[in-house]
Amino acid sequence: MTHFQRYRVTPWLLMAPQLIIVGVFFFWPSLQAVEQAFYVEDAFGLSRQFAGLANFAAVLHEPDYYQALGTTVVFSLSVALGAMAIALLLAVQADRVIKGANAYKTLLIWPYAVAPAVAGVLWMFLFDPTLGLVSAGLESLGIDWNHNLDGDQALLLVILASVWKQMSYNFVFFLAGLQTIPRSLLEAAAIDGAGPWRRFWTVTFPLLSPTSFFLLVMNGVYACFETFATIDTVTGGGPAGATTTLVYKVYEDGFIGQDLGSSAAQSVLLMILVGLLTLIQFRFVERRVQY
Amino acid sequence: MATLQLSALEKRYPNGFTALHGIDLAVEDGELVVIVGPSGCGKSTLLRTLAGLESITAGELAINARRVNDLEPAERDIAMVFQNYALYPHMSVYDNMAYGLKNRGVAKADIRRRVNATAELLDLGALLDRRPRQLSGGQRQRVAMGRAIVREPQVFLFDEPLSNLDAKLRVQMRLEIRRLQKRLGVTAVYVTHDQTEAMTLADRLVVMNAGRVEQCGTPMALYDRPATRFVAGFIGSPAMNFLPVTVRGERLELPDGGELDLATGLDDGAELTLGVRPEHLTTLPDGAAMPASAVALDTRVELIEPLGADTLAYTRLAGLDEPVVARLDGEHAVAEGQTLRLVLTGERLHLFDAEGQRLAERRCAVDVVS
Ligand SMILES: Nc1ncnc2c1ncn2[C@@H]1O[C@H](COP(=O)(O)OP(=O)(O)OP(=O)(O)O)[C@@H](O)[C@H]1O
Ligand SMILES: [Mg+2]
Repeated sequence: MTHFQRYRVTPWLLMAPQLIIVGVFFFWPSLQAVEQAFYVEDAFGLSRQFAGLANFAAVLHEPDYYQALGTTVVFSLSVALGAMAIALLLAVQADRVIKGANAYKTLLIWPYAVAPAVAGVLWMFLFDPTLGLVSAGLESLGIDWNHNLDGDQALLLVILASVWKQMSYNFVFFLAGLQTIPRSLLEAAAIDGAGPWRRFWTVTFPLLSPTSFFLLVMNGVYACFETFATIDTVTGGGPAGATTTLVYKVYEDGFIGQDLGSSAAQSVLLMILVGLLTLIQFRFVERRVQY
Repeated sequence: MATLQLSALEKRYPNGFTALHGIDLAVEDGELVVIVGPSGCGKSTLLRTLAGLESITAGELAINARRVNDLEPAERDIAMVFQNYALYPHMSVYDNMAYGLKNRGVAKADIRRRVNATAELLDLGALLDRRPRQLSGGQRQRVAMGRAIVREPQVFLFDEPLSNLDAKLRVQMRLEIRRLQKRLGVTAVYVTHDQTEAMTLADRLVVMNAGRVEQCGTPMALYDRPATRFVAGFIGSPAMNFLPVTVRGERLELPDGGELDLATGLDDGAELTLGVRPEHLTTLPDGAAMPASAVALDTRVELIEPLGADTLAYTRLAGLDEPVVARLDGEHAVAEGQTLRLVLTGERLHLFDAEGQRLAERRCAVDVVS
């Protein structure tokens, strides 16, 4: 083996385990989904027929699909913005405390270590209409809480649970971002006559924008894909599809409805959608956050 | 236009460390006071308490005879130039300079006029649209200066503003700062490590040591009559030579056994420190006679440092561990290893007692400088 060949081969060998895992568990199923999207299959998976774009056309003519799209938009925006806003607020506070800072930080990071399904169950119990602590409290305030019947309440609940789960992740990044801002900049701003509020919005916040941008992308992806387990445990997509996001609908139609063609078409659409969103974010937002 | 009055100013950090032990200082209108001292002596702390970035734990700070202890930095009408410049990285040069004016609600047209005028003054006109990262170190420094100037504050505070620049640029900016400060007639407090900067810039020089003011006076007064051994060793480069001496009647016994005619009026056997600057040690031209009341130090040259105009000779004197440094004429031919006879005349000598206090000051009030 010549030196040149060895130089070409070794890196591939070293990457092989990772590449194989990604290939088997990500690329292969993705390709299958794309293929599947162009076929109609009978309910037992015994035969299938090429259908061209029929699956896509069917999906796009389905009113339920647009309801899920609307739910996804509301859900994702609320989760991403809510989780980021709360995390930023907490990070700013945690950055300020001197005594017991580590205890705060550890406590705030904990939710991230909780599995999504477990987090879902936790929130479900807290808000359970008959047993839940929070719902009992709300009851005494005159609010009738039943997310099993009320679609808006159900959506609010999965948003809360998802925000709580994602907040820690954002918190860590915001805190790290805050700590890279030199103190002298804020001191200079104070001398320049900016009060705390103005200092935050004219110095701290702009300097955090690369972090915020990164988190916006990550939170968008999280809200679109990774909240599945939370939704599944808390509401199961209901009531009446009120918490069925696009991802949840892929699962429902494919695994419960056994309509694999439609489900595959939806996942292809979802992939395209998220790809586009990320592209837009990078093209138009990223340019503004560099300084 | 402002005066600054510090009375028994004390700063104790929350961890219990007292960084300033009662500083008394009055800065007059339009005066540039330079603060020097070894690392960790509290220079930055002092400046930050003046700016309002650190709270004052005791004593009083007044600007224009108005107590400002409890005012926010913004309300004190001061400007500060930071060592790392602290320019806002996400703002253009223009916005960096305009920021303080915007915060104070100055009209847009006024801001434009003032920023442009300041940019003109500092030769920044062509750079107004750039971000700080697109500037050289010297340009950043000028922007930091501009940001301070444009607000027309009562007091300028500088914390080692030139320490990140190369030697040549530092000289240039030093002159620039001096010129601007005089032209604008603004009161300024300037912290530095650099001897030359301190000596050349200061109207008045404050030497600090461990949170206290050691001495305060014009640069030449501190150079000529340092009040303590610490100041004597700190001002001047290379540093003053210190020789332990013992009083023998009307004379002082030197470490190598020589004796110098110098009446101190102290008891026989008293231990003192004799200080002499390298530039005040002379050599005797061949064949010349020793002046009266002078004493010769016979030394061996260990190391020479030719500086061009001068040559520094690091020599060894019998009975002394520290080298004795002499600043000789650059023409003077000396070689390492040769013996060198240095002449100590009775003039321009400094005597310090065991506590490091200047001796002359105890005896004659005229000598007191502060
Ligand atoms: N926030 C703080 N808490 C406790 N002690 C501090 C704090 N900041 C500074 N100190 C201490 O106060 C003393 C003076 O610090 P300061 O920064 O004023 O020194 P300096 O004279 O500016 O030194 P340098 O020349 O190195 O900049 C030091 O001993 C330092 O350790
Ligand atoms: Mg300092």
